[in-house]
Amino acid sequence: CAGEENWVDSRTIYVGHREPPPGAEAYIPQRFPDNRIVSSKYTFWNFVPKNLFEQFRRIANFYFLIIFLVQLIIDTPTSPVTSGLPLLFVITVTAIKQGYEDWLRHKADNAINQYPVHFIQHGKLVRKQSRKLRVGDIVMVKEDETFPCDLIFLSSSRGDGTCFVTTTSLDGESSHKTYYAVQDTKAFHNEQEIDALHATIECEQPQPDLYKFVGRINVYHDRNEPIARPLGSENLLLRGATLKNTERIFGVAIYTGMETKMALNYQAKSQKRSAVEKSMNVFLIVYLCILISKALINTVLKYVWQSEPFRDEPWYNQKTEPERKRNLFLRAFTDFLAFMVLFNYIIPVSMYVTVEMQKFLGSYFLTWDEEMFDEDTGLGPLVNTSDLNEELGQIEYVFTDKTGTLTENNMEFIECCIEGHVYVPHVICNGQILHDCTGIDMIDSSPGGSGKEREELFFRALCLCHTVQVKDDDSVDGVRKSQLSRRSCIYISSSPDEVALVEGIQRLGYTYLRLKDNFMEILNRENNIEKFELLEVLSFDSVRRRMSVIVKSSTGDIFLFCKGADSSIFPRVKEGKIEQVRSRVERNAVEGLRTLCVAYKKLTAEEYSNVQKLLQNAKLALQDRDKKLAEVYEKIERDLILLGATAVEDRLQEKAADTIEALQKAGIKVWVLTGDKMETAAATCYACKLFRRNTQILELTTKKIEEQSLHDVLFDLSKTVLRHNGSLTRDTFSGLCYLYKTDDRQQLSLHFKPHWSNQEHLYIQLNKSYFSVICTTFNLSSIVLASMIKHVCILVIELYILFIHFILKPLCYIMGIIGKEGRQAARNSDYAIPKFKHLKKMLLVHGHFYYVRISELVQYFFYK
Amino acid sequence: GGGGGGAVKTRKPDNTAFKQQRLPAWQPILTAGTVLPAFFIIGLIFIPIGIGIFVTSNNIREYEIDYTGTEPSSPCNKCLNVSWDSTPPCTCTINFTLEHSFESNVFMYYGLSNFYQNHRRYVKSRDDSQLNGDNTSLLNPSKECEPYRTNEDKPIAPCGAIANSMFNDTLELYRIDNDTRTPITLIKKGIAWWTDKNVKFRNPTGDGNNLTALFQGTTKPVNWPKPVYMLDAEPDNNGFINEDFIVWMRTAALPTFRKLYRLIERKNNLQPTLQAGNYSLDIAYNYPVHSFDGRKRMILSTISWMGGKNPFLGIAYITVGSICFFLGVVLLIIHHKYGNRNTSADIPN
Repeated sequence: CAGEENWVDSRTIYVGHREPPPGAEAYIPQRFPDNRIVSSKYTFWNFVPKNLFEQFRRIANFYFLIIFLVQLIIDTPTSPVTSGLPLLFVITVTAIKQGYEDWLRHKADNAINQYPVHFIQHGKLVRKQSRKLRVGDIVMVKEDETFPCDLIFLSSSRGDGTCFVTTTSLDGESSHKTYYAVQDTKAFHNEQEIDALHATIECEQPQPDLYKFVGRINVYHDRNEPIARPLGSENLLLRGATLKNTERIFGVAIYTGMETKMALNYQAKSQKRSAVEKSMNVFLIVYLCILISKALINTVLKYVWQSEPFRDEPWYNQKTEPERKRNLFLRAFTDFLAFMVLFNYIIPVSMYVTVEMQKFLGSYFLTWDEEMFDEDTGLGPLVNTSDLNEELGQIEYVFTDKTGTLTENNMEFIECCIEGHVYVPHVICNGQILHDCTGIDMIDSSPGGSGKEREELFFRALCLCHTVQVKDDDSVDGVRKSQLSRRSCIYISSSPDEVALVEGIQRLGYTYLRLKDNFMEILNRENNIEKFELLEVLSFDSVRRRMSVIVKSSTGDIFLFCKGADSSIFPRVKEGKIEQVRSRVERNAVEGLRTLCVAYKKLTAEEYSNVQKLLQNAKLALQDRDKKLAEVYEKIERDLILLGATAVEDRLQEKAADTIEALQKAGIKVWVLTGDKMETAAATCYACKLFRRNTQILELTTKKIEEQSLHDVLFDLSKTVLRHNGSLTRDTFSGLCYLYKTDDRQQLSLHFKPHWSNQEHLYIQLNKSYFSVICTTFNLSSIVLASMIKHVCILVIELYILFIHFILKPLCYIMGIIGKEGRQAARNSDYAIPKFKHLKKMLLVHGHFYYVRISELVQYFFYK
Repeated sequence: GGGGGGAVKTRKPDNTAFKQQRLPAWQPILTAGTVLPAFFIIGLIFIPIGIGIFVTSNNIREYEIDYTGTEPSSPCNKCLNVSWDSTPPCTCTINFTLEHSFESNVFMYYGLSNFYQNHRRYVKSRDDSQLNGDNTSLLNPSKECEPYRTNEDKPIAPCGAIANSMFNDTLELYRIDNDTRTPITLIKKGIAWWTDKNVKFRNPTGDGNNLTALFQGTTKPVNWPKPVYMLDAEPDNNGFINEDFIVWMRTAALPTFRKLYRLIERKNNLQPTLQAGNYSLDIAYNYPVHSFDGRKRMILSTISWMGGKNPFLGIAYITVGSICFFLGVVLLIIHHKYGNRNTSADIPN
């Protein structure tokens, strides 16, 4: 590993604060922050000055402060009380509100910081407050507890050294994810053993990306050379995540307090200003100019008028001595200030408070709305940012997530296609759905001998190629139970598609039982248990869009099963009935089904050992590990044999089409962001009426870019748009589909940016027309946004922090759907609604009301 | 922010008219059917009201004499450059003829022009607690009174520019009947507001009722010929509660103003208060206005239920009423001619 030492930003952690054996490495004690989380803004001591400073940074408050001070200093027509008292009131009310909010934050911080944590000291379990946790401490976490800091997973109560975690509060994913303990430490099951561990961890300095982590653990056994093991994000348990389905785990703290990934991702809510507030400020400046010119004119007129001495000082109204002696310019200046004070009511002091109160109280109408209340979940809408109410009526763009927002994310296995033969788990007989009967739709002639073999292989592939966990209620009787009643076992997976697939295959006769000691057990149609040794998992990622497993059957054959999007599978397939499968896949995609292709490859023992070597090397790399792994995966997953395809349906949300249609009629442009296949995405768009029969779809795809330069593609597109410009009415929307499949997202954005800025006029042109857009790469859409949409209101629905945090947060308003179980997104969003269909009333009725009302209020204030 | 935040409602919201925003509201859409009648009704109501007010105002008798004496022909021209301390005072007499008799009670006013009683320095220049009989303020008046606060190290009572510049012409009215001058009784009490006389203005308190003693230690305002406790012979109209003084102290809002000077009460029901005929006004001309281009007037006026003479209000009513009626007619014609052209057009959203 010597060659990899050129990465500077690293930290060394001594597990359990044990020094490495002498001579192995220099012991450099490092100082890390403690595990205290601070989300509060003020302390008891700095509250008054800091809060006052922040309040007076607001232009209106500052203005009134100045007026008040002027009134105090000069001889004014009105008493300073008249402006001082309202100002004091406003400041006090705001300070009380902010102080209360900060007090709540302090309380929440304290609750977190004082939460008891178990950790190991001298071989014993000790309870301490969470804030006393330090980097290097070994921590024990029990089931359903949240991790107190970022931990490297050392060992778990589960024999295979895994644990399950939900990261709901981090990225909104409610599914269980599997994490793996470090290979060399997973055997330590009790406190003494763990305490005896002698290891150091080298890892990168904290960075906010939740899914990236690179590190290395050196485990020292007595006198031997340390054993180095790679650490990746699968070993890192993040603060804020919750341990599930695992009795307890041990881990060593590596990032604490404000350095945890959660804290790094936490951003204080940025002040979003609504357009009304901005125009209010413009009004204020205009009025300030009027005021100043008024005071100036009046001062001049005053001196013109009193230029005659009998007007300046008639016998009945004489000046005092000091007044006579005062410098003319000073006098003129104080007169000017006096006029300012006299006319300062042109700028309404109460406006800000009234507007804020109106917004705050007005937001209750939203939560009170009966039609926005969801009977199923018993939830109503939530308003987290009442400052932006009126912007709801000004939304021009809606960016929505597809899966789970437009669609229900409740996957159902519809069919599978094995070499052109279509299998449906339940067939419709006389209008009734018969479950659990294996209907075989004969499209082709009945499968021959090799077909039979392929079919079984296909089912096995689906049973094996996944990362589904089986929730076992009783680990002893687990097998028998599931044997007796096949459907009793509960599958847990990070991807609902996988669960749907495994359940669908179960209905076709093959049941996945469990993973035990690296052996996957499946129950075949003859009720026999087949065992496969799990050798490698080439996990899924959104760039490759496929995953693979390498298994060894009981007969000793080694198979590689690969499952993924058709676009990523077909190029790697060397044989199989590609054409039939492709046509079926395309048909399904048009119907809005989610399709996956399955392929396999048989490996010889020699090939496998090669693969193993490659993988091991890549996994040990400290630098560019992801890139190296991707390269290795690329090498492994090739020359596959196509088995078939599956189709899973993700049904549309209730009234999604109706809502989208209404939004489009209102002139709101809806963008759907998805990682699905272009056809699937388009099908969903047709289903929810985002696209219509007569919609002309303009495509910007990788294929096109490969054929001609980006500039030409864009130019062609804009020509088409211009040609149709006259005919683009509200009823004939054109859809522009950006579809991107590249291996490296970073590269894409770099490659895109220069073009983007040069061609700005093209996009403005596109922007003006009625477009609905599907984007398949989040990065791309954020670039689109950054370059072309700066001054419009955007509503973002249910897109996760990875997307929102980078560019969008200060630009857009975030809407969450609270109907989904465990979705934390609702809390982080500005607004949350129970279901997608409520968006219609929210934007078109409430948003409109809010905008009309606030506009009238502000205009009334200036009229007054 | 944070409206309604955090509180996840687990129960269904109330189905009340307020919460569901179903409260009845009237949002009129202006159509010919509503606008035309409104115009006609406004016209028909306003024109009679205007005529009534105008006639009432015209029935009020008012007579005004400018006695400043800027014109050389004026009898008061000799007094034009009078100073405060001229003794004996310059007097002049102006004869005038009333064309019509004044039937009801007559109010006698003096009027000043170009006199800025509304100047900020002037308005502030008084001490209300001194005027309210506060003994400490009497001897130590407010700073606001500067430069009319003290004179020769003695506090001025009443202090301030307003009091100092009190109107001090004396006006007397005579009826001339066959060369005999009959004085007309001018009542000097009852010209101030009741609250001013009884609440706001009070003489200082102390042993006895001798005002001279009570005002001991103070000095008269610079421009006054005599101290405040010698304003009138009657004790209940002397000192700070002298009604002429109280009337003056209520400052006017505009540079041209009139203030009530005397009342002339109707003697009996058979005779008008002031018959038509010749009168003469005797003026003890003390108040200098020429230095600031001011004018002085004497006004005799009767009043009605709507106050003094005010032709503007009636004219305004008649004008607005006529305009409304006229617009109504014009719109009616337009509506009649073009009204049914696009009744089917939608209201654009």
